[in-house]
Amino acid sequence: MPRWGMVIDLDKCTACQSCSVACKAENNVPGSTPEEYRRRTAPFWHKVIAVSEGEYPAFSTTLIPMPCMHCDDAPCVTVCPAKATYHREDGIVVQNFRRCIGCKYCLIACPYGVRNFNYKEPEEKEYHRPDLPPDLESRGMWPFPHRIHGVVEKCTFCFHRIDAGLKEGKKIGEEVVPACAEACPAHAIAFGDLDDPHSGVSRLLASRDSIRLQERLGTSPKVYYLLK
Amino acid sequence: MAKTAFTGIEGKSKGYKLAVALLALLALSGLGSFIASYIQGHELFGSSNIVPWGLPIVFLIYLIGLSAGSLILSSLTYVFGREEYKPIARLAVYLAIVLIFGAMVFIFIDLGRPEKFWRLFMFFYMNNMRSMFAINGILYGGYFLISLTYLGFIFFDRPRFTKKIGILAVGWAGLVHMGTGAIFGFIAAREAWFSAVKPFEFLAAAITSGLALLIVAVVLTLKYTGRSVNKEMVVSLGKMLRVFIIVLLLLIAVDKLTHLYAPEREAALYMLAGRYSWMFWGLQIGMGAAIPLIVLFNPRLNRTVRWVTAASLSVVIGIFFERYFLVIPGAAYPLHYYPGEIEGIWGITGSFPIMPAEVLLSLGIMAILGLLYLFGLKYLELMPALKEPEKTTPPETPEKTEAPAEETPEAETPAEETAAGEA
Amino acid sequence: MDKERNKGETAKGNLILGVTRRTFLKISGLAAATALISRFFSRLPVFGADCNSPGQSEGVITEKWVTTSCLNCATRCGTRVRVVNGKAVKITGNPLSQVTEGENCPRAHIGLQVLYDEERITRPLKRTNPAKGKGIDPQWAPVSWEEALGEVGERLKVVRGDFRAPGGPHKLLLLAGLNTVSDEDYLRRFAEAYGTPNLIIDEGLENEADRAGQWLADGHYTQSAYDLPRTSYILSFGAGILESEKPLARNLRMWGKIRRERPNRAKVVVIDSRYSVTAAKADRWLPINPGTYGALAMAIANVIISENLYDTDFVNNRTAGFAEYRELALSQYSPEQVAALTSIPAETIREIAREFATTKPAIAWRGRTATSIPGGSYTGYAIFCLNALVGSIDVPGGVIYQEEPEYREIMPYGFGDEGRNRPRIDLSGTSQFPAARMVTNRVADAIISDNPYPVEMAIGFNANFIMSQPGNWRWHEAMKKLPYYVHVSPFFNEMTDYADILLPSPTFLELWGYDHSPPGSGFAEVRLKQPVVERTTDSRDVIEIIFTLAQSLGGSVAESFHGVGGSAERFVRYRTEPLIPWSEFLEKGVWTGPAYRYHKYDEIFRTPSGKFEFRSGNLQQINKDAVPLPHQEAVSYLGDHLEYPLVLQVYQPVLDVENGGQNYPWAQEFNLVQHGTGWENFAEMNRHTAAALGIRDHDNVWVESPFGKIRLKARVFEGIHPGVVAIALGQGHYANGKWADGTGVNPNEIIGVDYDRLSGQSAFFNTRVKVYRA
Repeated sequence: MPRWGMVIDLDKCTACQSCSVACKAENNVPGSTPEEYRRRTAPFWHKVIAVSEGEYPAFSTTLIPMPCMHCDDAPCVTVCPAKATYHREDGIVVQNFRRCIGCKYCLIACPYGVRNFNYKEPEEKEYHRPDLPPDLESRGMWPFPHRIHGVVEKCTFCFHRIDAGLKEGKKIGEEVVPACAEACPAHAIAFGDLDDPHSGVSRLLASRDSIRLQERLGTSPKVYYLLK
Repeated sequence: MAKTAFTGIEGKSKGYKLAVALLALLALSGLGSFIASYIQGHELFGSSNIVPWGLPIVFLIYLIGLSAGSLILSSLTYVFGREEYKPIARLAVYLAIVLIFGAMVFIFIDLGRPEKFWRLFMFFYMNNMRSMFAINGILYGGYFLISLTYLGFIFFDRPRFTKKIGILAVGWAGLVHMGTGAIFGFIAAREAWFSAVKPFEFLAAAITSGLALLIVAVVLTLKYTGRSVNKEMVVSLGKMLRVFIIVLLLLIAVDKLTHLYAPEREAALYMLAGRYSWMFWGLQIGMGAAIPLIVLFNPRLNRTVRWVTAASLSVVIGIFFERYFLVIPGAAYPLHYYPGEIEGIWGITGSFPIMPAEVLLSLGIMAILGLLYLFGLKYLELMPALKEPEKTTPPETPEKTEAPAEETPEAETPAEETAAGEA
Repeated sequence: MDKERNKGETAKGNLILGVTRRTFLKISGLAAATALISRFFSRLPVFGADCNSPGQSEGVITEKWVTTSCLNCATRCGTRVRVVNGKAVKITGNPLSQVTEGENCPRAHIGLQVLYDEERITRPLKRTNPAKGKGIDPQWAPVSWEEALGEVGERLKVVRGDFRAPGGPHKLLLLAGLNTVSDEDYLRRFAEAYGTPNLIIDEGLENEADRAGQWLADGHYTQSAYDLPRTSYILSFGAGILESEKPLARNLRMWGKIRRERPNRAKVVVIDSRYSVTAAKADRWLPINPGTYGALAMAIANVIISENLYDTDFVNNRTAGFAEYRELALSQYSPEQVAALTSIPAETIREIAREFATTKPAIAWRGRTATSIPGGSYTGYAIFCLNALVGSIDVPGGVIYQEEPEYREIMPYGFGDEGRNRPRIDLSGTSQFPAARMVTNRVADAIISDNPYPVEMAIGFNANFIMSQPGNWRWHEAMKKLPYYVHVSPFFNEMTDYADILLPSPTFLELWGYDHSPPGSGFAEVRLKQPVVERTTDSRDVIEIIFTLAQSLGGSVAESFHGVGGSAERFVRYRTEPLIPWSEFLEKGVWTGPAYRYHKYDEIFRTPSGKFEFRSGNLQQINKDAVPLPHQEAVSYLGDHLEYPLVLQVYQPVLDVENGGQNYPWAQEFNLVQHGTGWENFAEMNRHTAAALGIRDHDNVWVESPFGKIRLKARVFEGIHPGVVAIALGQGHYANGKWADGTGVNPNEIIGVDYDRLSGQSAFFNTRVKVYRA
């Protein structure tokens, strides 16, 4: 079974945020209003953070794209009472809207702030995807198949692309990648099977030193960063 | 020892009816707020992706604490056989039940999708039992049932069974609130919360606030239903209270010092000296500990019911803010994804606007609890019987039916609201 | 005890129409409850009602991918759009585009919000409120296309005049913002045929001094193209390579390539008064005193020359004027002299110079921050010459010369017309702006002062000069004064407020066109635009509008479009078919020209000497008195330095959508990545400067210049020169739409009017300001 992970090369990254914008387009994530943005009730599946150090003129900013880390030992999975968030076999931490009761414990537990609660009905969007949002369209009449207010959502490593790609026999990590990786103009985001020593991500990790965020917490995130 | 007789109150006085009416109004507006939030979403509340939990959770953990504390104190009588606390013991158990019920209502309304609340009870079947919420589900549910049984045995006057159940209930109550503490204390991501002391801190807060609430409730209820207040009992409860406050202070101090000693102390400094630290020092410590301790150690003041009650009220408020301070400023502390200063919206300390819908909702549920309390006083035998016969006054003229919901019950002894009762 | 209810207890006086009060209340309670419950359940999805938009549960019925290209900035990247059930849902790159190797910048995705902007103009509108001014409601009344175009056509006739009533076609002003190249070409044709020289095509690039800098050296009035994938060292002088330099997506792609996809990692050094995103991602940031980039370039030349690190082969054989240039550099621009002026230590200058000269191939990249000031052409010249000094001209990894696509020619317009030979109202090419091709900002003054002649009519195509030009109060005045203004665009904006007739054009995802990028790739590439969805508004292409107007003008104007296609689709096909068969073009969306050839030294220099000129013969030809050598002009500022102690610097973040509007939530919420903030712009200032002024982070402040003041939040930021205040561009709309209006402020409102004389470049960086708490 593959274990999907991501490697983000901060030396190639241009901090353009194509990843964040493409994620919004791919997954129908609504844009914010200024009020929602400032109150932090707006959803962001993917963000680029700026971390500053030093004083003028020896000043530097590290710009770090952050999708969901899909931790191997995810605190969100541990705390969810309703099993609404859980690991798939391939390591992706998914969110099941149908089971989610909206207790927000996972928002509390996530050390990376990648989870978003829907504080209101997502607005009608003109460019929606009729074949998604990602959850259980195939379950038909089951209540709450769609994203509505009161449930939590987050980055899914675009598992809809991966599943569709696997069905068509495509190579994940080369022909099929999440929207952020596809959109990155600098090719700074690599995606693939961490357990396969010949995959692109494994080779990247073997070639350079990498870090993960908040490693001391022991969450084993599957998003690695190659430093400048 | 004389056997204490228990009765219900008459509940015919103007004050009682006014209280019921006001609380009912508040409860209805709370219901309205809930419906609005159900339709529109939690944007009506003050929570956000940075401070995900708001007033409902604050109230919820507060109520659980009060409930557990209250129940634990009933053990003074039913487990340890201290008859002098008998007058308050029934009330303590009933209060515990009402409060845990309130807590469960708060859980319900805090959920993003309340209609799915039943999923919290699918233990071992559809639940992830590693989750503290799931574990707490077992604890709270069991606690509710055990407390009801406990109260039942008390009413049916079976001292031996009562004692056995009492031991179970009290132990369980301890676990309940330690479980609540674990919800916060076991989260490694939140530096302000992550601590092994949290379950014990919560337990201490529960007992302290439960006792304080009990003192206030008992004194006020006795006073307003024309019963005498046993001064010795209250004073000794006050002495007990100050011990619990000190224990609580000790646990808070241990928790904070642990974090301060470690080099990674920013979270603790934020809690103690940051933007919201006024809440910690002024309300949590000031009202919750400092002022009550001053009063309760003062040899003149700690012998008066009035001052003990005042100190208890201060504790009740202070520990409410202890919960508030933990949940809201505690969550507002920004997560540090990467060492350094995170710019802009991803690194800000959260804020929590006070939203009317949320406040109304919370007050509405508290009003429902108030109603349950008042009805309990009236329809259950919770209060000790009056010691002296009442001054008789001409019975009131038959009242007009004011509203369909209005009852006109008859009490065993016509009781009028008098100002009897010691100050 | 009893708990009896006295159910039957009624009392006198409680009957309302026979209904007891109790019952009445029960009923109304029930009614209210029913109402609430039914509302409650109608929101509950379990009952089948879909909370979300109707289309969301229907599944994929039809799906197609359409190849087209973007137009959210002048790069015009190739894209592919996924269309599901007739709606565009996703935009990705076109892998066949070699310029960007199939990549896009974030703005490409925002195309979806451009297309489905709820506030688009849906039909032609006519102004009914004669009063014009900022914030004055035009009180639009809908009109038909026939009526609108009829009126415009009539006006055009009157302005142009004829034998009976000679008018002056030169009094027609055509203002173009960001349009497709095909639209621009069609516009040029129209201007030519109509007889007006006054065609202003802005594209949002604002890099005239940049272009002049190169022209001085080699006769190419253009921004430079750099062979990025093969370069080993980039020395950026105020160039926002990862933010605003076009073709942007190519820069973004190549950055990844040259950093980590080749054995040798390219090194990047950024010189800028502001710690830009490019500086954050580069290897080194050197803050510099504003306006002194030319001196630094000359000092670097000084070191390279004095230490004999220059490419002797190229310099000796392919350049002219080196002796004078060398003399100037060595005598006046030693690192020690320049250190004080620039605040960069002499030792650092030497270090950088040596690095630049010895890491081959290297490029010196001049940016707007360096050149958009008076004397900026010379600064650009000085920086550009560094490339020649190290032999980076027309070599792999160096400066290259953009190949242009050879579209099918539109036959030259044979009829002479005195209108075309009149001076342009922007006075480009006159003694005021001798080398200039376009002096956009001067147009406002021309209109206001009727100098050199009054403008009688103007048509704007996707223009928003009120937002983009400094000293924009003059543009308000000019627009107000215009007797008749027609605006063509999909959206309302600050310019449309002044229009007499508003004609909706389609967004770039709904039209036919061809595009190519500004210089950057070297090899030529043409990209197609074709409609991806059915039009949602009653719009007409720019080309269709012009064709209709031309036909209504009749005569030679109408004739001038014969054979080139009267519709956008036919025009595009006409122009591109010699390059690539039409059906192939429709499918691939891209035609790429032959691979770039280097070392074309016998062909590329358009100078009197036929060589690269360190002493500009081109300049001497048009102005004998001008200094023909690269140098640092003394910086002249607008505003007294005692009263206005700080210099205002503006910059363009990537998420600034350059189509004249910013009405897109995704563009707003991700706007400033370095500050982690959206929906706002800031007065960014150094911590020491702020402390001295008593300003803390996020305080409200006034930024005041001699020309006006604006109010916004301060951002106390370590990454900025202490003497500089930086404000991001793109915000400060008030007439663009709900997502743009009221967000941030527009610094152009307080920037004064000044020019680089040679090129007519508006000066954006020489206004002084003061900042104080609000």
